[in-house]
Amino acid sequence: MFKLDRKLIISASVAATVALFAVGCGGGNTNTSTATNTLNGKVTIDGGVVYPVVNDKTGPYYVNTNIPANINNGRVPTANELKAWNKDVMPDGTGLPEGSGSVEDGEELYEAQCVMCHGDFGSGGGGYPSLSKGNAVEMQKTLTNNRWKDPEADGPVRVFGSYWPQVSTLFWYIKDGMPHPFSKSLSTDETYALTAYILNINEFEIDGEEVDDEYVLDRAKLLKVKMPNVDGFEPNIDGPNGRDNVRAYYANPTNFGALKVKYEDRCLKDCQKDSVKVRYIQNGGIKDFLPPMDSTRNLPVEKEVKVDPVKEYKNSCAMCHSSYLSPGSAEWAGYLTKGMDKVYANAIHGTEGGMPAKGGTSLSDANFKTVVDYITTGKVK
Amino acid sequence: MDNKKSNQEIDRRDFFRKTAAMSVTAIAGTSLVSSNARADDPAIMHHPSWGQKWGDPVTKNRYGVPSKYEHNVLRRNTKLLASGNFRASIAVTPIQESMGIITPNGLFFSRSHGGVAHVDPNEYRLMIHGLVEKPIVLTLEQLKRYPSVTRTHFIECPANGGQEWRGPQFNSIQFAKGFMSCAEWTGVYIKTILEDLGLKDEANWMLAEGSDNSEMGRSVPIDKILDDAMIVWGQNGEALRPEQGYPVRLLLPGWEGNLCVKWLKRLDFSAEPWYAKEETSKYTALKPTGKAIQHFYANEVNSTVTSPSPEIDWSHLKDGDVVEIEGLAWSGMGTITAVDISFDGGDNYKAAKLKGLVLPKSWTRWSYMHTYKKGDKLYLTSRAMDDAGYIQPTIDQEVSVMGVESVYHRNAVETWEVTETGEVNHVQIRS
Repeated sequence: MFKLDRKLIISASVAATVALFAVGCGGGNTNTSTATNTLNGKVTIDGGVVYPVVNDKTGPYYVNTNIPANINNGRVPTANELKAWNKDVMPDGTGLPEGSGSVEDGEELYEAQCVMCHGDFGSGGGGYPSLSKGNAVEMQKTLTNNRWKDPEADGPVRVFGSYWPQVSTLFWYIKDGMPHPFSKSLSTDETYALTAYILNINEFEIDGEEVDDEYVLDRAKLLKVKMPNVDGFEPNIDGPNGRDNVRAYYANPTNFGALKVKYEDRCLKDCQKDSVKVRYIQNGGIKDFLPPMDSTRNLPVEKEVKVDPVKEYKNSCAMCHSSYLSPGSAEWAGYLTKGMDKVYANAIHGTEGGMPAKGGTSLSDANFKTVVDYITTGKVK
Repeated sequence: MDNKKSNQEIDRRDFFRKTAAMSVTAIAGTSLVSSNARADDPAIMHHPSWGQKWGDPVTKNRYGVPSKYEHNVLRRNTKLLASGNFRASIAVTPIQESMGIITPNGLFFSRSHGGVAHVDPNEYRLMIHGLVEKPIVLTLEQLKRYPSVTRTHFIECPANGGQEWRGPQFNSIQFAKGFMSCAEWTGVYIKTILEDLGLKDEANWMLAEGSDNSEMGRSVPIDKILDDAMIVWGQNGEALRPEQGYPVRLLLPGWEGNLCVKWLKRLDFSAEPWYAKEETSKYTALKPTGKAIQHFYANEVNSTVTSPSPEIDWSHLKDGDVVEIEGLAWSGMGTITAVDISFDGGDNYKAAKLKGLVLPKSWTRWSYMHTYKKGDKLYLTSRAMDDAGYIQPTIDQEVSVMGVESVYHRNAVETWEVTETGEVNHVQIRS
């Protein structure tokens, strides 16, 4: 009897868990849902829910569940193809090529190819990121600066030296993405030289040695770089427990400023603290919108584009005006006695005799007059 | 420029006010006389020009374009976000003009890190390698031969609203909330391709890399790959636009737009993550502790009032007009279950109604009918919930954990002030 009760309790709690998700936390949307916060037996990695396929449906979508597992439409890449594309550089040195470059050469390259965007000594400018704000170790200490309670305080400095957790990222990105308008144009040695220069302006030491103006960087030395902010990120994604760490992190809403509540428990009355105020946009805010904000419905101001009257004639007029009143024909003489203004007006607005307005084209009046000029005279003015 | 702009705005508002005043006068004036003495509307009494002459032949515009009158409905930029001569930059969606839950392809927000690449589909190749039993190279035709799936999902830049942690900056919904769009995507689940390639047990992460100038890359945990990650080539029934990665992009439903790598060329599987530039230098959220959240995947539950907006306000409404308050709600963690609306800046809420299709990780429309009272000052605040159990925090609640230096993943409730004359201003209600 006791055992049976236990079983009942267990199955009841399983049912309760399923039911919780079946109604989506009891929200206002009463559609039954298959949402669950586990995937392959583990809690989801992003703190959200997934929709397993149930009765040929995932959430609201039907799916074809009769898909064979052995579809392979491609081919195996060659060794050279893999080498050509597999250029990423990982923190442990995977993908980091042998080579070397000096701070001196790096500075020369920087002055020639980088300074126009990244500024003198990596100070930034022109809308491109700063590469240094001084000593990396000192600047790393600014990361606890937060203008939350003191809006006038200095903000945190997030540049390569103070913020990035891995140096491999710098080498990889220079090699693949720089210089911005001509990426993938730097050799491996040039990339080492630029990396050395950026370590120099961030006042790095490698293995106790200052990266001074004479420093020559190579693969082994680069792998010894210790970034001041290597432990500045959460969750810890490295190693065999990396994904488990991420799952645990997002399973706790307080880690990332999120809030969970049951639908029936959500606040509906007196939800704001007494201390709140209406905060307005200061100093007019940002409004250099391109193009300027405008919600009116009107015709755009069109710039006049001149058309080729002969081409327009062929496309829109020749079906009628090749046998009758053809370009420059003698038949025009009688019509032209009315004066060109009348001829233009008839052409633009159409006539009861069957001439459609502007011959059915959407040309501007000015442009259509050039077509009329061509038809009446046989010449392009 | 600023002065000119605000003058234009005032002009437009003056126009609406005058129009409203005129129509009030017209009604007052006609109430005493018979209906046939009312002024006739010229728009009805005159033959319009389009009714009396040929329209365009069907041979015109082989690929259709919007009406000329819609020429102000545009993606827009600001110099604040002009990095790299507008190549490492963003153009944002006019969600003040959005209808339903689909963004037209030409208005879908556009973010790139080295400019919009123009990839020759004949030379397109996708390489999948690393910790798989069988590495593979696919042409576009070969990729499209896999069984396809079609899903409606929003894509949101996690910096949507990220300029406003310390206070409101943009008196504009396009810039305050337009770093996102929603489309119906067609492609293949990556897990379908992996069925044959055989993912090795040691594989924890996947690098997705683009073929553009910046070779934009991000590390993705295989949890997402084995769930709903897609390689997509279709957007709202046609090929992806170049701005969305033509011919092929990664789509990780609900997750940061930056993770949905465009112009996709390579998927590499590994035991360890890569630390690509855009997952360290950017797209990390610094907390007051000095620690930054990395691998911040899902865009959390969020919502906004789209009508009225600072751009299209209520200054043309008359006292007593019945008007629909409309908005969008979305969650990268699941499906929207409820939206509440507040008229006092989030102090007291009432339930709004969801409208239309309610889909996972998709824009969801909501509605609340309101009788407009001229002279009332309102603070319109919406608040959404999702089926993962999350609710939008207040600004104070979010800031208490995240501080104001995070840049990314701001999803606290947003407020529009409706002034006594119906103008709408972006404000924040916070301590």
